[in-house]
Amino acid sequence: MTNILEVQGIHTFIGRYHILQGVDVSVPEGSITALLGRNGAGKTTTLKSVLGLRSVREGSILFDGKPVHGMRSFDIAALGIGFVPEHRAIFRDLSVEENLKIAERHKGDLANKRDFIFDLFPDLKKFLAMPGLSLSGGQQQMLAIARALIADNRLLLIDEPSEGLAPVIIEHMISVIRQLSKKSTVLLVEQNFLVASKLAEYYVIIEEGRSVKAGKMSDLVNDRAAIHQYLGAA
Amino acid sequence: MKPFFRRNSMLLISLLVLIALFAFAGRGMGSKDFVITMLRGLSVGAVTFLVASGFSLIFGLLDVLNLAQGTLYMIGAYIGWTMYIRPDTFMDLVPLLALMVSGFALNGVWNIVVGHIHLNPKVQRIIPWTLIALSLALFAIILPKYPIAIWDLNNYAQSPVTYSFMADQGTRLPVTPAVFSQISPFLAFGGLLLASMLFAFAVSLFGHAAQAQGRLKVKNFVPLAIVLIVAMVGYVFNNTLTNFFLGMDTTVLFLISVLVAALSGAALGGLMETVLIRPLYSRPIYQLMLTIGLSAIGVQIVQAIWGRNEFIMPKPSLFAGSGGACPASSLASWLQNHCSTIWLLGGRVRVYDEIFIPLVGIIVLIAVWILLKRTRLGMVIRAGVQDREMVEALGINVRRVFTMVFALGVGLATFGGSLAAPSTGLSNAMGESLLLSALIALAIGGLTSYPGAALGSLLVGFIQQFIIKYGQIGIPIPFTDIVFKPSPPIVPASTVLLMVIVLLILPHGLLGKKE
Repeated sequence: MTNILEVQGIHTFIGRYHILQGVDVSVPEGSITALLGRNGAGKTTTLKSVLGLRSVREGSILFDGKPVHGMRSFDIAALGIGFVPEHRAIFRDLSVEENLKIAERHKGDLANKRDFIFDLFPDLKKFLAMPGLSLSGGQQQMLAIARALIADNRLLLIDEPSEGLAPVIIEHMISVIRQLSKKSTVLLVEQNFLVASKLAEYYVIIEEGRSVKAGKMSDLVNDRAAIHQYLGAA
Repeated sequence: MKPFFRRNSMLLISLLVLIALFAFAGRGMGSKDFVITMLRGLSVGAVTFLVASGFSLIFGLLDVLNLAQGTLYMIGAYIGWTMYIRPDTFMDLVPLLALMVSGFALNGVWNIVVGHIHLNPKVQRIIPWTLIALSLALFAIILPKYPIAIWDLNNYAQSPVTYSFMADQGTRLPVTPAVFSQISPFLAFGGLLLASMLFAFAVSLFGHAAQAQGRLKVKNFVPLAIVLIVAMVGYVFNNTLTNFFLGMDTTVLFLISVLVAALSGAALGGLMETVLIRPLYSRPIYQLMLTIGLSAIGVQIVQAIWGRNEFIMPKPSLFAGSGGACPASSLASWLQNHCSTIWLLGGRVRVYDEIFIPLVGIIVLIAVWILLKRTRLGMVIRAGVQDREMVEALGINVRRVFTMVFALGVGLATFGGSLAAPSTGLSNAMGESLLLSALIALAIGGLTSYPGAALGSLLVGFIQQFIIKYGQIGIPIPFTDIVFKPSPPIVPASTVLLMVIVLLILPHGLLGKKE
C-alpha cells in the first residue's frame, strides 16, 4: 500500500517555541491513521504543519509523492486536503449553505455532493438557511466534516472530532467517519483513545514534539504498557 | 421573535432613544428647517460613510487600522479635480503611471521566478535592496525630465485656484501641450519600464519563503500586456483624448472624474497593501505607524503638487443651472432647467449637496451590501473576518482577497473625496476632519460592522447638522428666557459625546459584535 502522506523529521516553531522536534508520520492511502498523545504533545501542530498553516523549518512533507513543504497553505489545500479543525471553526455569520458553498473549488461542487452530504447529515438539510452560530455542538461538528467533503479531497485531516460531544452523537460521528473513509484517507487527531481505537487502523504517538511510536492500532490495543506510558490510559 | 428582542434589547432601546431625541430636536424648528437639516445630515453622513465603510472593511478582514484613509479621501478629491479641470495633465500622467506600475503587473511571474531561485541568506538580504536602490536611481533620473503639462503654483494666473475659478465661469484657460525635449520618449519609456520591473522583482524577493511553485504561462503576462496597451494608447492618442474630454459635457466629464478617482484609489490601495502593509502583518504597531506616516506624506505630496490654497471644484452642468426658472419647483422643472437648487417642503435645497450625494451614498451602501451578501467574494470576506486561517485551509488565497478589500476600501475613500469636492471644495485639511468623523461613526456603529458604519455615519451627520442649525436658531431653555446657541466647536464635541454615551451603554457599538 502506498503512503498518500509522508511526513519526515519535521521541526516547527511557533514564535520562539520549538514545538515539533522531529515528527514522522506515514499515512497509507485508504486508511484511517490516528495521531495520539497527551495534551500539548504537538498533534494539532503536526496537522497544521502538513497544511502549511505553521511554517516548517526542517524536514520534509510529501503529499502524493510531491513535496509540499514551503508551499502556501491554500495551494497545499487545493491539492486535495480537507481540514476539520479542533473547535470546528464554523463561520458563525454565514448560513449553513454558505458554510458549505465556500468550500467549493469548482462551481457546482456542492450541487454534485448534495445527496451524499445530506444522506450522511440529514440535520444539515433542515438548517440550510440558518446561520452557523445557531447550530448545536454536534451539528457544528457535522457541518465542519461536511465542509471538508465538498471539494474532492483525497486526504482529510480531522482534529479532535469527539471533543465536547454527547456519547450518542460520538457514535453517529464514528459511523460517519467510517463511511467517508471509504472515499478519502483520514488522518485523525483524537484524545479519546476509545474512539481512536474504534476508528483507526494505524497510529502514531507523539510525545513532547517527537513521534515516539507507530504501527497498527490492533497491536497497540493489546499493548497496555505502551498505552499507559504514552497516553496515561489503562 | 421574542429571543431577538431579548438579545437586542439594549440596541433597540438605544435606537428608540436616539430617534426620540432627533424627533424632539425637530420640534424646536420649523418643518422647512427640519427637512433641510435632515438632508444635510444625510449628505454629511453619506460622505462619512464612504470613508468609514472602507475603514471598516479593511479593519474587519485585515486587522489593519488604515489611518491614511482620511488623506486618501483628500487625494481622491484632488485626482478627481485634475481629471475634471485639467484632463490634459491627466492624459500626460497615464503613460507615466502605467509604466511606473508595470513591474507589479508581472507579480505572478516574479513569484514563480523567485520560487526557482535559491540564494544564500546573506545575498538574499542584499539583492532586493540593491535592486530597489537601482530602481529609485533610474526613477530619479527620468522623472524630472518627463514632460507633463501642469499648472504653476508660483504664478497665480496659472494656479489651480485660477483654473477652478475660470472653469466655474464656464471658460477654460488655454493650455500648452507638453512635449519630450529633455529626454527621448523611447529612453524614458524603456527606463521607467526597467525601473518598475527591478522594483517589483525586489519586492517579490522579500517574500521568498512563500512563493508559488509552477511554470510560467501566457496568462501570467496578460496584466503586463494590458498595462503596456494603456501606456501606448495614452501616449499615441494623448491630444485626441485630451480634446475629447475637454469638449465633453461637464456632467459626463464629472462622472468620468469620479470613476477615475475611485479606480486610482483602488490601484493605490492595491499597491499599498502589496508593497507596504503585507510585510508588516505580524507587526500591527508598525502598520499603525506606517499608515500615520503615509497620511503625513500624502498631505505633503498634495501640498507640493496642488499647493496649500483652498479652491473649488465647479459643480457639473446637471446641478449648476440658475436663472429665472430656478430654484426648480418640481422634479420635472429641475430636469428641464438643471437648477442648482429646488424647493422641497417649503425649503430651498441644494440638489447636488443634499439630494445627489445622499442618493449616491445609498447606492454605494446597497452595492457593497450586495457584494458582501450575494457574491462569492463577499462570502469569503465575511468568512475571513471571522477566521482567516480556516478560509485559507479551504484552498482560498486569502492574501489576494486582502489586496482586493484594501483596494475596495481605499477606492471608496477616494470616490468619496471626489464626490464631496464640488460640495465642500478642496483643501489640504479636508481629510483630517473627515477621518475623525469616520472613526467616531465606526465607534458608534461598531468597528467591524458594515451596517454599523452606515448607521454611525448617519448619526454623526445628523448630530453635526442639528447642532449647526441650533447654532443659528438657538435652543430656548425651558422655564427661562435664555436661548442657547451652540458655538461651532461644539459640533465635533457633540459627536464625541454621543460616542461616549453609546460606548458606555453598548461597549461594542450599536451593531458591533463581541469578539
